[in-house]
Amino acid sequence: MFELQSLWDVILLIALVIAFAPVFGAYLGRVYMDRPAFGDILLLPIETTIYRLLGTSPRRSMRAGEYMLALLLVNGGVWAFLFFFFTHQQSLLWNATGAPNMSWDLAFHSASSFTTNTDFTHFTNESQMSLGSLVIAWPLALFCSAATGLSVAAAMFRGFVRKDGTLGNYYVDMVRTTTRILLPLAVLFALLLVILGVPETFTNVLTAHPLTGGTQEIILGPVASFSSISLLGTNGGGFYSANAASPLANPSAVSNLFEVFVMMLIPFSTPFAFGQVIRKRGEAWPFVATILIVVAVALGLFIAYQAAANPSLAGITALGPQSNGYPVGQETRFSLPEGSLFQVVSVYSNVGANNMMIGALSPVAQLVLLFGMFTQSTPGGEGTGFGTLLLFAVLGIFVGGLMVGRTPEYLGKKISTGQVRWAALALLIHPAAILIPFVVAVTGGFVSVDTGSLASSAHTFTSVLYEFTSESANNGSALTSNYINDATPFFNITGAFIMLVGRFVPIWAMLVVGGKFAEQDVLPPGPGTLRTASATFTIYITLFLVIVSVLLFLPVIALGPLAQIVGGT
Amino acid sequence: MTAPSLPPGTAPSAAPVPPRAHSVGGHVRAAVVFLVLMVLVTGFAYPFVVTGIAQVIDPGAAGGSLVHYPNGTLAGSSLIAQNLSAPYLFWARPSATDYNLTLGAPTPYGYSEPALQAVINETVAYMKEYGNFTVNGTLPFWWVAPSASSIDPDVVPDAALIQIPRISNATHLSISFLQGFVNQHTVNPFIPYVGVPYVDVLTLDLALLPLIGR
Repeated sequence: MFELQSLWDVILLIALVIAFAPVFGAYLGRVYMDRPAFGDILLLPIETTIYRLLGTSPRRSMRAGEYMLALLLVNGGVWAFLFFFFTHQQSLLWNATGAPNMSWDLAFHSASSFTTNTDFTHFTNESQMSLGSLVIAWPLALFCSAATGLSVAAAMFRGFVRKDGTLGNYYVDMVRTTTRILLPLAVLFALLLVILGVPETFTNVLTAHPLTGGTQEIILGPVASFSSISLLGTNGGGFYSANAASPLANPSAVSNLFEVFVMMLIPFSTPFAFGQVIRKRGEAWPFVATILIVVAVALGLFIAYQAAANPSLAGITALGPQSNGYPVGQETRFSLPEGSLFQVVSVYSNVGANNMMIGALSPVAQLVLLFGMFTQSTPGGEGTGFGTLLLFAVLGIFVGGLMVGRTPEYLGKKISTGQVRWAALALLIHPAAILIPFVVAVTGGFVSVDTGSLASSAHTFTSVLYEFTSESANNGSALTSNYINDATPFFNITGAFIMLVGRFVPIWAMLVVGGKFAEQDVLPPGPGTLRTASATFTIYITLFLVIVSVLLFLPVIALGPLAQIVGGT
Repeated sequence: MTAPSLPPGTAPSAAPVPPRAHSVGGHVRAAVVFLVLMVLVTGFAYPFVVTGIAQVIDPGAAGGSLVHYPNGTLAGSSLIAQNLSAPYLFWARPSATDYNLTLGAPTPYGYSEPALQAVINETVAYMKEYGNFTVNGTLPFWWVAPSASSIDPDVVPDAALIQIPRISNATHLSISFLQGFVNQHTVNPFIPYVGVPYVDVLTLDLALLPLIGR
């Protein structure tokens, strides 16, 4: 039984974010413009000192290739630090839980996972991660990967307004993202999480004495500061392996709504930051509307199917009627719409945190989540999500231009085959990075497929598809199920490569496309110019995005989730 | 490399000289210094500063919402369920990991997986046999279903109310008293429809202990 009234806080929260996003997005945009910005008095001297230590300066603007080189150096450094830390965590700082050193393949997967903003984990945090790994190593990637995503987006935005071929200075973008966006907000949100009940302590393990005897180990740590940057940076890793389903990381309905706000804030503001940088604020709305349409439909489907009773449990007579949604793999304290909002927003923003067990969801709800990772741009992860949406737009305008026989241009910049080739590469690498490993895993015997049973084989296909899709989209949510065991060298190594390809190839394409735009002059709008800040363009882009995503993945959906839905299993 | 020298007599151009690119060595230095700074800031300064402030503004929550026995012994955390399956206590939701945090989150049962029906049947049978329910009818679905974290500290109010006859038998507290007791400990949303009504079982049981002389 689902009460319509219980939707009110969900709708209000989305409305609040949409009302706040233009304001915050304008601030976000100003961080990346060479103009005075809020906070300069305090932060500019600090930033200038840091540039001097780094031996760089905002005046050293980089072309796409140099920007990419700097990006790879920093991200490679993060990766190496994490890999070293995880393989040596026994002998490094703070290991009260006695976590063993990671094997090289697990450390390869984990370091790649955190560096790429994915935060897909093939281990149990509580027994396989030392407090040092959770506090010193992992958060470095939480900050750096989020800052990298926003920096890439900013560089791409600049391509639409610059004419000298440069995209900005990567180090400067990273520093300003950290000092002006991530660090202050992470501190503020962490403290608010503490007020909402989340632990923040350096006491690691306590032994409690339960009422019925025995002992219970309580694992604590700086959970609030970890969750804060993990959600704000669309990373999605959890301090606990139950992630935001753990009552320690998400103690109440209010903390749940607050965490949704933290996840939505930057992805929903990034289009407005784009509008700010290109100084045409109206251009943000078609993208925001596209994102809202897709998320609203997804959320509606998710809630509807989670409100329905599970037919396979109909035979259990002693079970009471179902209220407040399907309870298996759910926590008592969230209502159905609130829990669903968290899960849908988390996956659609490529955060990948979970406040429920994705493996326990109805097949339609699982397909809804998969679709968000197929588009990976509604709104998608920090910076790169909106970058992907811009690539969709570039491709869509090019295709539309061909159909009506008009020179394709966007914001006064001509779209040539150069840009289209790279945009297509970025969008095609995603299915390639999912489908090729999928075929290898299934035909190579790395998962056991029970071909005699439709239910079993469809579940197995869905599990494998979800695993690789989450990795390629740099999402990190996991459909843990009994049908596959992903803690194996095959899944560790394959997964690590998928995440690295799914992260750095599209970033490279975004920078190249931005760089190509940055070399062009801005054409004045003429009578034949496509008006992109319009409802027509919104509808066109939404349909283009949905149709392309569906066409790319339909065959493999048919094997897994569709077979489950149609076959009633 | 120095800026190209201008021919004598010409004024410097108003357009700025395009800045030169970093050398590879310059990039390595920038990246290394950046990473060292980031480790210091995000790995040490950030968690220490937040923890320091948190311990001042809300030491209870920051410490993990711990709950103690009257003699000061640590009983647990009000945010974590524990095994409460004694006849005289209110029981929490079942746990696939036996409420052991170090085992992390269990692998869930799929929507149509036969094992799901089996585990729910098993839980229902256990509750029926040892729960000593005198009421006829059914068990709350939200109580017998496996949770996400396997340490869900809360149950729906119905799940607490249905256990009252058993607790009354075991403790000789009256049914009407226990009903009032549960109602008093039921947490209702203080804004309508934000969250759902629930009962934190460990808090409820700790409040029950002095009443039953344990």
